[in-house]
Amino acid sequence: MLFKSFLSIVLLFLLNPVFVNATNQKVLKVGMELQYPPFEMSEKDGTPSGISVDLAKALGKYLGRKVIIQNIAWDGLIPSLKTKKIDIIISSMTITDKRKKVIDFSIPYAQSNLAILTNPTSGVKSVKDLNQKGKVVAVKKGTTGNIYAIEHLKKAKVLILDKESSAVLEVIQKRADAFIYDQLTIYRDWKNHKKTTVALLNPITKKPGYWGIALRQNQPELKAKINEFIKKAKSDGTFDKFAYKYLKGIKKKFVELNIPFFF
Amino acid sequence: MFSGTDYNFNWESIYEYRQKFIDGFFTTIYISFFALILSFFIGLFFAYGQNSKIILLRFFSRFYIEVIRGTPLLVQVLIFFYVIAANLGLDNRYVAGVLILSIFSGAYISEIVRAAIFSIPKEQYETGLSLGFTIFQTYRYVIFPQAYKRIIPPLTGQFASIIKDSSLLSIISVNEFTMNAQEVNSYTFSTLESYIPLALGYLLLTYPISLWSRQLEKKMKD
Repeated sequence: MLFKSFLSIVLLFLLNPVFVNATNQKVLKVGMELQYPPFEMSEKDGTPSGISVDLAKALGKYLGRKVIIQNIAWDGLIPSLKTKKIDIIISSMTITDKRKKVIDFSIPYAQSNLAILTNPTSGVKSVKDLNQKGKVVAVKKGTTGNIYAIEHLKKAKVLILDKESSAVLEVIQKRADAFIYDQLTIYRDWKNHKKTTVALLNPITKKPGYWGIALRQNQPELKAKINEFIKKAKSDGTFDKFAYKYLKGIKKKFVELNIPFFF
Repeated sequence: MFSGTDYNFNWESIYEYRQKFIDGFFTTIYISFFALILSFFIGLFFAYGQNSKIILLRFFSRFYIEVIRGTPLLVQVLIFFYVIAANLGLDNRYVAGVLILSIFSGAYISEIVRAAIFSIPKEQYETGLSLGFTIFQTYRYVIFPQAYKRIIPPLTGQFASIIKDSSLLSIISVNEFTMNAQEVNSYTFSTLESYIPLALGYLLLTYPISLWSRQLEKKMKD
């Protein structure tokens, strides 16, 4: 008897996704990692906010679907999308060939470059100094910085960490010679640790990384609609509005440093 | 079981990275092996320390055990590596990993040993002394042989725990089994394909310990 009721509870849980998928057609579940201000962040009371959140809401309005934001660790975003726990990802995700093998992307809506955070004693002046024996490069697991380091910095030792903050700590404590991530993060990390770190903000690759909205493969209808939405948002000033709302100070700094801006 | 998850298995992508799994598996074995030995000695020392006549050592032992058992290993690893090891100039993250794992597990082993010795009735100790044994001889020939039987089952369980807990060293980028599986997962985006071999790998390490424990218990009955 006990076993039977236990079995039925287990079955209920296993079958649950089937029912949820069938009834929630109208909802657009957007996955993002709320750890990349001002694109993905949360207010003090925990409500998600940021450019990606506003973008998701605008997309929901365009598609006529109610938006639910789901905060998922970076590592879990693509698996969640693949297993239909979420419908799309808007999480400042760069379009890469590797990712394209398992999921589909919209047209780009923003761009960013990789940059280097190093410490004053490492003597690193450019990315060339890093591709050498004995150099240690910290990256955040699964990011474009990680992919770049594995593919291009074959001579260096790559430290793969879960959190951006640990990677910065590694650089400050001189355990790592450099941390490779996007320019905005590097700039912000340098601002927080001006004495102990040095930011090399010049792009380390010739081509910038383009960010896209990620969706599952073989969804031509949804993809076409999202692409339409991005084109419209680019032309009607939606992105400019976001930049004004969230990135005012940073945009000025980027222009000063002659770095291409996100939009 | 997996039909409800709508998951397409893609084992080829994992097979490409098989060397990562193998390397991680052996790193986990090395780390666990050294942590096992070191934690056993740490445990013995503090089991002695808790009953020591020196009041400072007794207090310190109590303090150590309470702090270690009362805080998460994750926090201990981070604090040990980024604060304590950094100040000591200990840069090797593998050594630091073995150390913190041993310190963590040592607190539990110390409690196991202490509990086993305490569980031996006081009369045994008194009888030993009355037969003209020295304190050392009493422990060596009377207390320990009895305590031993009560130590082995929980101790082997603790050893299996060390192997599993070593997975937490991934947060300081020690390339052990879990870390490498997570890394492969982040390149291939095939979560279940990475984690199922991981679970099997750990089972492969802990199951022999469990078997060995059962054999020892059987032997002790005779």
